[in-house]
Amino acid sequence: MLEAPFMLRALAELTLLALICGPVSVFVFARRLSFVADALTHTVFPGVVAGFLVSGADGVFGGALVAGLVTAVVLTLLTRGGLLSDDAATAVVLTALFSVGVALVSRRSSYTSDLTAFLFGRLLTVTPGQLVETAVLAVLTLTLVAIGARAWVFRAFDVGGAAAAGYRIARLDLALNLVVALVVVAAVRAVGTILVVALLIVPAAAARMLTDRLIAMAAAGTVLTLLCGYAGLWLSWTASVDHGVRLTSATAVVLALVLAYVLLLPVGLLRRRRPA
Amino acid sequence: MTYAYAEAVLAGALAGLIGVQVVLRRLSYFTMALTHATFPGVVAAAILGVSITLGGALAGVLVACGVAALTRRRGQDAAAATGVIVAAGFAIGVGLVALQDGFSRELSSFLVGSIVTTGRQDVVTTAIVLILVAGVLAFFGRGLLFTGFDAAAARSAGYRPGLYDLLLLVTIELVIVTIVPAVGTILALALIVAPAAAARLWSTRLPVVTGLAVTLGMLSGLLGLPLSGLLDIAAGAAITLVAAAFLIASLAARRTS
Amino acid sequence: MAEPPPPGPVPAQRHASQPTALRIEAAGFGYRGTTVLWDVELTVGEGRTLALVGPNGAGKSTLIKSVTGLADLVTGSVTVLGRALPKARGLAAYVPQAETLDPDFPVSAADVVLMGRYRRIGWWRPTGRADRDAALAALDRVGLADRASTRFGLLSGGQRQRVLVARAIAAEARLLLLDEPLNGVDATSQERILTALGELTATGTAVVISTHDLAVAARIADQVCVLNGRQWAAGTPGEVLTPEVLREAYGNHAVDLPDGRTMLVET
Repeated sequence: MLEAPFMLRALAELTLLALICGPVSVFVFARRLSFVADALTHTVFPGVVAGFLVSGADGVFGGALVAGLVTAVVLTLLTRGGLLSDDAATAVVLTALFSVGVALVSRRSSYTSDLTAFLFGRLLTVTPGQLVETAVLAVLTLTLVAIGARAWVFRAFDVGGAAAAGYRIARLDLALNLVVALVVVAAVRAVGTILVVALLIVPAAAARMLTDRLIAMAAAGTVLTLLCGYAGLWLSWTASVDHGVRLTSATAVVLALVLAYVLLLPVGLLRRRRPA
Repeated sequence: MTYAYAEAVLAGALAGLIGVQVVLRRLSYFTMALTHATFPGVVAAAILGVSITLGGALAGVLVACGVAALTRRRGQDAAAATGVIVAAGFAIGVGLVALQDGFSRELSSFLVGSIVTTGRQDVVTTAIVLILVAGVLAFFGRGLLFTGFDAAAARSAGYRPGLYDLLLLVTIELVIVTIVPAVGTILALALIVAPAAAARLWSTRLPVVTGLAVTLGMLSGLLGLPLSGLLDIAAGAAITLVAAAFLIASLAARRTS
Repeated sequence: MAEPPPPGPVPAQRHASQPTALRIEAAGFGYRGTTVLWDVELTVGEGRTLALVGPNGAGKSTLIKSVTGLADLVTGSVTVLGRALPKARGLAAYVPQAETLDPDFPVSAADVVLMGRYRRIGWWRPTGRADRDAALAALDRVGLADRASTRFGLLSGGQRQRVLVARAIAAEARLLLLDEPLNGVDATSQERILTALGELTATGTAVVISTHDLAVAARIADQVCVLNGRQWAAGTPGEVLTPEVLREAYGNHAVDLPDGRTMLVET
C-alpha cells in the first residue's frame, strides 16, 4: 500500500505524532489529564468552525490554535477556583464549547459532512504543507517537554513537595495544558478528534503495563503508536480496497491502539501480582 | 413539535435528577465514557434489527459493569482506562456504522440527537424511566448517599457499597440510553452535569439541590428548543448552551455574594 | 530587627544568639481566606528543632503548608531564612506523609530523591553525575542505598517515609518541614528518621516537625508548640508538655504523656 504517495504521507504524519504523543501521553497519564485532553479535543471544534467561516481553509489552523489555548487557560483557572469540582467543570466546558461549534456548523448546509471531517480528520489527504506544520509543532512541543519534564513529574507525584521547592504550581499546570492543546491543534485537522484523544491517552496507558519507568513508558508509547499507526493504515486500506468497507483510517488506528491496550492488560495485571 | 417539547422537558428532569448523584460523586468523566460506550450497543442493535432502546440498555449495562471493573482501582490507571473506553467505544461504534450505509447521518444524530423527530412512544418511554429512576433514588437514596460519602463506614454499618455502586451505574446507564437518542451524547453529558453543578452552588442540602437541578434541567429543555428555532441552530446545541448559561450565571452570582 | 516578645515562657536567651531559620509573627493561616489557625508567634533558630503538637484538625498541617506555599498566610508575616513569604518559597524542603502519595506512580526511590535536586539543577541543565551521587548518598543516610532502583510504591510505609526524608536531605535546604513523618511508621524507620534529623540539626539545619507522639516531641525538640485552632503554648518540652497545658489545649482527648503513659484528660 505504501506505493501510494498519500499513504506514505499519512504514515509520515502518524510517525511525527507518535514522536510527540509517546512523551506527552506520559504526562497526561501521570497527571490524570485524560478528561482534560478529551475536553481540549472537543473545544478546538468551535475554533475550527469559526476559523473556516472567517477565512476559509486557511483560517482553520489559527482558529484551532486560539480555541485550544483559550480552553487550556479556562480549564486551568476553573479547576483552581474550587467552587466546582474538576470533573464537573471540565464536563461543562467540553459540552458548552463543543455545542458552540455544533451551533455554528449546523447553520451550514454541509452540516453532517463538516462534522464528520472534524471527527475523523482527513489523514489520507494530508498535504506536504501540513506535514511541515506538524513537524514544526513537534519540535516545539518536544522542546517544551524536555524543559518541563522534571518539574511536571515532581508536581504530579507530590504537589506539596513541588510547591515547597519553589515551583509555581499554577504555571506548571497551565504549561502542561498548553502543551496538550498544542498537540491537539497539531493533530486534529489531519487525524480528527477521536484519534487525537486516543493518541494522548492510550500510548502511556498501554506502556504502563510493560514498565515502571517514565522514560521507558515514553519510548514504549512511541513505538506502540508507530506499530498501531502502520497496522491501522493497513487495516483501513485492506478493508476499503479488498472488502469495500469504508473504515476511515483514523478509526482503524484507534481500534489498533485499543486492541494493543486490551492485549497488554493481562501483562500489567500479571506484573502487578508478582512485583519484581 | 409538542412531543419535542415534552421530551425536552422530561429529559431535562431525568438528567437533573441523576445529575446530582453524578456531580456529588464526581462521575462526570465516567458518565462520558458510558455515553460513548453505549454507542456501539445502539449501532449493533440497529444492525441486528432488535429494539434500539433494549439493545442499547443491554450493551450499556454490560459496558457499565466492564467500566466499573476496569476503573475499580482509583488513580492513574482508572483515569487512563476511562479515557481508553471513551476512545474505544466511539471507534467501535463508528467501525460498526461503517459496515452499513447512512454513515454520516446516524453519526451526527448520535452526537447531537434528533429531538425534532421525537414521537409519542419516545415521550412515554422517557416518562416511565423518569418515574422508575425517581423511585430508585427515593428508595435507595439514603444508602447511595452513605456509600458514596464513606464506603468504609457504610460497610461496617451493614451496607454493601459494591452493590450500591452497581445500582447507581445501571441507573445512570438507563438514563443515558433513554435520553441519548433524542438529545445526543454531548448534550446528554451537559444536561446531566450542568444543572446539577449549578444547583450544587446554591445549597448543600440534598433535597434542595435535587429539586433545583430538576427544575434547571427542565428549564434548559423548555428554553433551549425555541432558542434553536429562533437562531436556526441544532436543538441539542441550543439546550446545552442554555444549561451552561445557568451554570455560569450561578457561578457569577455565588462568587460575588 | 527588633525581636518580638515571644508568647509564653520561651527560652529566648538560648536562641537569641542563633541566626533565625523561621520566624512567624502574629500569623493566621488558612485556605481561600478562611482562617483555621490563629495567633501563631514562633521563632526557630538554625540547628534547632521545633515540634508542633495538637489534636487532629488542630492546624499543624495548615501551618506547614502555608510555609511551603500550599496554604495561605491570611494575616501576620512569615520569614524563612531572612526572606518573607511569598518570596521565601523554595528555601525550605518539605516532607509529606508518605501515605498521601500515589503508590502506583511509576518512579523509583532514587527518582524521588533526585526530585530534591531539581531546583539546583534548574530548567536547562540535564541531570548530572554529581546530582545522582548526592541522591544516592542521601538514600544511604536513611539506610536505603540498596533499594535505589525499587519502585517507590513497592517499599513499606516506613521505607517510603525514609525516602522522602532522603529527598529533603538531598535538597540541602537550611529548613526542613516534616508533616507527621512518624505516623504509622515502623520502629526501625522511626529511629532512622530521627537519627537523620539529629545529624541535620548538628550541621545547622533547622527542623519543624508535626507529630501526635508527645514522647517523640519531648525527646527531639528544643521547642514545642501546642496548637488547636490557635497557639496554646510554646516553650521547652518541660515547660509545655504538662498535664495542665495539654488538658487546656486538647479538651477531653486522650493524651500520650512524655513518659510513655497515656492519660485521658477530662474537660
